Amino acid sequence: MEPASVFAFTCPVKTNSGNKALEHLPVELANLNAVKPIIITSVEAVGRKAIQTLTNAFGDSGMTMGLFDGVTGTADLTLIENLKIIYIEKQYDAVIALGGGTVVDAAKVLNLAVSLKAADARQLSEETPIRKHLSPLVVVPTAAATGLETSKLAHLNRMVFSSEYLAPNLVVIDPRLTGAKDGKTIAATGLAALGRALEAHISADKNPFRDAYSFAAISFIKENLLAVVNNPGDKKASLAILNAAAMSGCAFSNTDTAILHKLGQVFHDMQHIPPGIIMGMCLSHVLGDYLKREGYDLSAILHPLTGDDEFAQTPAAKRSEAALFVLGRFLADLHGALGKDMPRTLKEAGVPNYMMEDILEVLGTDRDGPYLCTVVKRIWDDKPMT
Amino acid sequence: MISMILPDYYEFCCRVKLVAGHDALEKIPGLLADREAQKPLIITDKGVAGAGLINIVSQALGDRVSASLIADNVPPDSDLKVVHQLAQLYRDNACDSIIAVGGGSVMDTAKGVNIVVSENASDLMAFSGVGTLKRPLKTLIAVPTTAGTGSEVTQVAVIKDHDKHLKMAFGSYFLLPDVSILDSRMTMTMPPAITAMTGMDAMSHAVEAYYCLQKNPLSDAHALAAVTMIYKYLPMVAKNPADQDGRLAMAVDACLAGIAFSNSMVGLVHNLGHAIGSVCGVPHGMCMAILLPYGLEYNMHKCEESMARLLLPMAGEAVYLDTPKEQRAQKVVSLIRQLNEDLNKITGGRHARFLQEVKDREGKPMVPREVLSQIARAALLDGASIYNPEDTDYEDNLMVLEAAWEGKPLDRNKLKKG
Repeated sequence: MEPASVFAFTCPVKTNSGNKALEHLPVELANLNAVKPIIITSVEAVGRKAIQTLTNAFGDSGMTMGLFDGVTGTADLTLIENLKIIYIEKQYDAVIALGGGTVVDAAKVLNLAVSLKAADARQLSEETPIRKHLSPLVVVPTAAATGLETSKLAHLNRMVFSSEYLAPNLVVIDPRLTGAKDGKTIAATGLAALGRALEAHISADKNPFRDAYSFAAISFIKENLLAVVNNPGDKKASLAILNAAAMSGCAFSNTDTAILHKLGQVFHDMQHIPPGIIMGMCLSHVLGDYLKREGYDLSAILHPLTGDDEFAQTPAAKRSEAALFVLGRFLADLHGALGKDMPRTLKEAGVPNYMMEDILEVLGTDRDGPYLCTVVKRIWDDKPMT
Repeated sequence: MISMILPDYYEFCCRVKLVAGHDALEKIPGLLADREAQKPLIITDKGVAGAGLINIVSQALGDRVSASLIADNVPPDSDLKVVHQLAQLYRDNACDSIIAVGGGSVMDTAKGVNIVVSENASDLMAFSGVGTLKRPLKTLIAVPTTAGTGSEVTQVAVIKDHDKHLKMAFGSYFLLPDVSILDSRMTMTMPPAITAMTGMDAMSHAVEAYYCLQKNPLSDAHALAAVTMIYKYLPMVAKNPADQDGRLAMAVDACLAGIAFSNSMVGLVHNLGHAIGSVCGVPHGMCMAILLPYGLEYNMHKCEESMARLLLPMAGEAVYLDTPKEQRAQKVVSLIRQLNEDLNKITGGRHARFLQEVKDREGKPMVPREVLSQIARAALLDGASIYNPEDTDYEDNLMVLEAAWEGKPLDRNKLKKG
């Protein structure tokens, strides 16, 4: 935890979590000087009831709002341009994203387009400079969140926008919307958050501000994920996972250590596999490799993984190994509960062999390319030891 | 294993960009440019300027920032007139941003100036209270010169109108500085006694944040990290003021503690501390150091489990494992008392352990026993008691103050438990 040279941390996201969190929205928006938000969501992904719950929360606040509920997995800049025109025409002044993944990515890019007053949103690119606060953006995640909702990234149609200003002003985590539909989806959410939080926490560039977020995220996932996978009706546990997901996004925005994230992302882009499933698959392999690399401190994750007593009882020299062991057991327990819904290899996940070459080629262009490729080759058919 | 508790409802926010390091000040020109600002008004006080700290800041800004204006007339107690005067200076010189270099009063003043210049207001009063600000203000960069107050990450400011004897409070997320710079050079010259009490101010933020009513997982994580490092580094830097790494660690810790308490609020320790400050003029950090063990004792029956969890970050694994579970909270109290004892020795007695030891420059006692009842009454008017786990009243306040005056542990059998 000792800081050495210059380091920085920033998290523009305010968190409101818990009972009736949505009912605070009118006040929160007013505090952001917004009176007419547009809700961006996918009715297919979140369902009518979730949209109703969100709009009902505005009750007699007198706020009018717009709704676009047609975001799909293939959202692109043409959609953003169309939404931008509506936003300007109807004089909306804030965006509320309801859901996870692409829905939030689209909302972030829409917010970028309207805030920069882009003449044509289709001209936006990864190189577009973003140097100012954007218009108010609120994210209301559902159980389908990936953890990137609170981050500085927006993925859209294989483009990656990155800026601290893209992160939302506020994340509202309400138990009426975060209930898990099934074990599989929430496991993917939890594992994606766990992967990113773990990598941030062991990162060679120490940062105590970031560690506060990753510590809390790791604790919540370890304590709650198995419970909610076994019993998707456990509202408190799934609320905790969504809290962890939001925290992991904040930690992730402040680290360059992102091997697991990159692996998850490439399979999401090319095979539509939830990133968390791939990250879970790679976890033991990648963390085992970090153990051999200089500067990465695996012992730091034992404390949030096990709590005070087990951490204190483990001699310092054995903490890294112990952490790996605890993680291995945790993944095995999850697999025990999920069975084939939690594939342990790419083969089990149904990735066709003929796709491997394409995937390796894409990964090869990354600065960590050679290493990423060795991991992918290993997870093709190699189950981690448990 | 219960390591993180999820409350039924919580809010957490710290939007400040934090930049820390031995040469973090050198990042300011880039940070200003990112925000399209070029001409900062530097707000500070005579003490800070006299200690040569503004020279270090100016050098770090170099020629990449156009000749910046320096105002060093912030009084020890924020003052409405100074706020208006500095706002005029800002306008007359077409400044576009503020760099606040100093402690609590400088930060409060800078936040006040920022409201006036951003809202183009003629009177700051119109913006007092909570939630009156609706949009981002001008770029404000905070450079704290003490490792304690945490005001570089708080969303409040207190400005005094000395003519009308009024204290105005302002609260808004828009009051958060855009950036806080934590640079070890800014605290290197702090003498041991000031280091000790400002460090204990930070400790009181972290500890109270960890047991007060609005605690949440993120404030908890910040508080635990702060407690771990303050307990380790505070005696080190008090003993060896030139310990650069220790200074940086304390600056980071005080900031972590500031983030924790501004999101979970504080209780009895701050409540009584504010009252002692206003009745007797005792420096805030000194009040915090003296009162902290009593805040723990007073509330222990309400939140013993939380308090017990502070033992591991403070004392480490061996002491934690050797202390039976039911004695851990009590052990935390004795470690805090011991820390005060150690700081008292290190500072040659200048770090007061009890209220009767607090003396002014002439060596005169600052808190005569007769005023304790007045302090106990004044504390009833302070808002900090709302977030204290156990209720307080005049008798309880007085009981705590009497014990803190004599330096005796609180007789926990005498507490009203409600």
